[in-house]
Amino acid sequence: MENILQRQNGGARRVNNIFKKLLPFAGLVLMGILYLFSTDFKPTAFHIQTIIDQVTVMAIMSTGAVFIFSLGSFDISLGVGAAVAVCLGIMAYNAGSGLPGMFAVCVVVGLVAGLINSTLSAVFKMPVFIMTMAMMSVLTAMLQILLDGATDLKIKSDIADPIKALDNQWLRLAFMFAFFVICLVLFNFTKIGRRNKILGGSPKVAEQTGISIAKQTIITFLISGFAVGIAAFLLITRSRSVSSNTGTSLGMDVMMAIVFGGMPLSGGAYSKISAGVVGSFSMVLLSQVLTMQGITTGWSQVYRAVLFLAVVFVASFSYREKMLSRAEMF
Amino acid sequence: MRFKHDYAGEAQGLDINTQNDNVLVEVRDMVKTFGVVTALNKVNIQVRRGEILGLIGENGSGKSTVTSIIAGIQAPTSGRMFFNGSPWKPSSMTDALNKGVGMIVQESGVIAGISIAENIALGEYDKFGKFGFLSKNSLIDAAAKALSLIGVDDVDPSLPAFALDLQDRKIIEIAKVWAKQPDLFIVDETTTAVSQRGRKILYDLMERQKAAGRSVIFISHDIDEVINICTRLTVLRDGNVVQSLDKADFSLDAIKRLMIGRELKGDYYRSDYDGSCGEEVVLSARRLTGHSLNDLSLDLHKGEILGIGGMSHCGMHPLGKMLFGFLKPISGEVVAWNGARIKNVSTAMKNALGYVSKDRDAEALLLRAPIRDNIVSAGIDKIAKAGFIFPGVEKAYSKKQVDDFQIKCSSDEQFAGQLSGGNKQKVVFGKWVGAESRIMILDCPTRGIDIGVKQAMYQLMYRLKREGVSIIMISEELAELIGMADRLLIMKDGRISKEFERSESLTEAQIIDYMV
Repeated sequence: MENILQRQNGGARRVNNIFKKLLPFAGLVLMGILYLFSTDFKPTAFHIQTIIDQVTVMAIMSTGAVFIFSLGSFDISLGVGAAVAVCLGIMAYNAGSGLPGMFAVCVVVGLVAGLINSTLSAVFKMPVFIMTMAMMSVLTAMLQILLDGATDLKIKSDIADPIKALDNQWLRLAFMFAFFVICLVLFNFTKIGRRNKILGGSPKVAEQTGISIAKQTIITFLISGFAVGIAAFLLITRSRSVSSNTGTSLGMDVMMAIVFGGMPLSGGAYSKISAGVVGSFSMVLLSQVLTMQGITTGWSQVYRAVLFLAVVFVASFSYREKMLSRAEMF
Repeated sequence: MRFKHDYAGEAQGLDINTQNDNVLVEVRDMVKTFGVVTALNKVNIQVRRGEILGLIGENGSGKSTVTSIIAGIQAPTSGRMFFNGSPWKPSSMTDALNKGVGMIVQESGVIAGISIAENIALGEYDKFGKFGFLSKNSLIDAAAKALSLIGVDDVDPSLPAFALDLQDRKIIEIAKVWAKQPDLFIVDETTTAVSQRGRKILYDLMERQKAAGRSVIFISHDIDEVINICTRLTVLRDGNVVQSLDKADFSLDAIKRLMIGRELKGDYYRSDYDGSCGEEVVLSARRLTGHSLNDLSLDLHKGEILGIGGMSHCGMHPLGKMLFGFLKPISGEVVAWNGARIKNVSTAMKNALGYVSKDRDAEALLLRAPIRDNIVSAGIDKIAKAGFIFPGVEKAYSKKQVDDFQIKCSSDEQFAGQLSGGNKQKVVFGKWVGAESRIMILDCPTRGIDIGVKQAMYQLMYRLKREGVSIIMISEELAELIGMADRLLIMKDGRISKEFERSESLTEAQIIDYMV
């Protein structure tokens, strides 16, 4: 009898798990249908390019941020970090560093921001999220200083401009795809990803299985910082400029994208690397649908917020359900 | 959380003819299902006035489910309950407590970040202030009174709850419930979660409850404890009531047989009294001081089961953590078989040490992760090749432990948090055995697990010993230390007060003098 119950229960759980895994993809399909509906099922090349331009940067940053999310934490300074990386990248390029130099500067800035966040958090034993809040203020001030009172900073047009050659969606898609594959392997098939999930599940258990919380946090933030650097590089190839508003909403968009993509709020074992890409596509499609329906920016934010709360509610309901099913104790 | 009841037969009302004035609580035909799983199957239980009713059964037999329904924590799927002759439908735990049913739960119900007084008054803050302002003084006075009622006068209720260790925090919960003087006092496997002092308080309160003509439901896996304390027993198995026994019919063998539905075959502890082991010292503690330890030294030999016992605050639990490198001593050192110093958990694991924490749910298990992730967590370095983990290897590694330990689960993808206490402990053992630990530090390894699983754990430890694994077994249960250890160290005030060799004639009475 007990075995029959276990088998039945196992079957029901598997169906339930498959359903939950498919839910974010179902959300993406729904957004896709709404998008097609908004374009009268005739999306133009411009439409597609707009989506790719927006989604690639967000997906790369979100995929990197999944590592932080899996620890049960979040870096709120990601958006402004990308803006500073863009600014310093442009300055380096304008100073004659060339494309490789610009790329290196963007990546180094991302890595340094991540390193500072995680190291200070480890040294002072402070919650990472609090540290990233302080970092957000510092980076915002830094961006203002770098802009030196100007509204924006642009790539100098008098320099021979190889950046134009990089301004195409296939390159952006290639960057996104390559980064995603690397992260997929790191997250699911290496010690790094496995330790992240354990640490996100319980720091105490992680410590008692020999995982160094400080070391793992630093590795995590370096991966995310690398993603910020690449995203900053792609932002330069797309917009060729930076302003004090660059990245303002990017950090929050990344967080929403990860949640839309099916990432558990508490991190841990059920963290999904796909959440960044799936959620970014959903978010961008949603934004496009709202824009095409003539919704103003303000109301668009309200709709997105409501949807975000709904997703969070469903996610937390699922969590409660799992933890309350004590009858499954055999 | 509040909920609505949907009792079958509600419309029939109370069947007066079957009510008995001597019955305080009656549960009739109670069914509780969770999805496709039936946790309670038409359970009938009566609790009489002035009795201590023991509820016993294996993990997952339904003991906690039925008492949690009586205490308003969850609603039944169907069935009826009566309290003092009237239909009983508590809408929440607080509602039940206010109406006369209080329960001390297995898990911690204390909020660490607020004061002891605020914990005791939780849910009743309206009584301690005016116009939305809380009177801290009246809160503290009431808490001090509540603590005094259970005989605790040395705890400052204004302190934050985290100032107390996990065991003593249970006292806060006891005080909170007892202050309401409930007609029915439910104690759910709490005695293993409290210190000896807390245990004494609980025993005393249960006796006082009985003497006052009120009632107790007592759940425990310690059958000796149940036999000593309870006046009647109801045995549950797989969600069914198997039998109720009056005090005159209590017999250890009969109770064990009723609980597990079969005879316990083979030895319970080990049957030999040969305390021999290898000569080689595999782990040495040298003059450890700090975390309540006071210049403590010990040697563990190859293939030895070294028992460590004492009162709960004697320092034996920090000793286990220090030996594993989780706590750093102020002075002294821990040295492994190859001369390597154990400086942290990482060096401990590199030198084949494993540690089973007393606080299983908080320190040893990822409750919201699959069994597989838990088992693999200590063996990541073992299964990884050049830093990569291949799913097939991982699955085989986990499956071996699930099969070897006969972990009852639907698959190794099931949440560890959904397992019973015994199966959770098997997962923790599997995690360290899988990692090929040769030195196992086991802190209360059979805490909160039923007799069948306990026997399996004892036999596993004996098997590991014979395979040359060295074991430090820390326990508050003298019987299991006497039953299993090759050598027994008794601790008092952070020091070793006495050493006993394995002997057939060794008794608890001989040991206790060195503990207190």
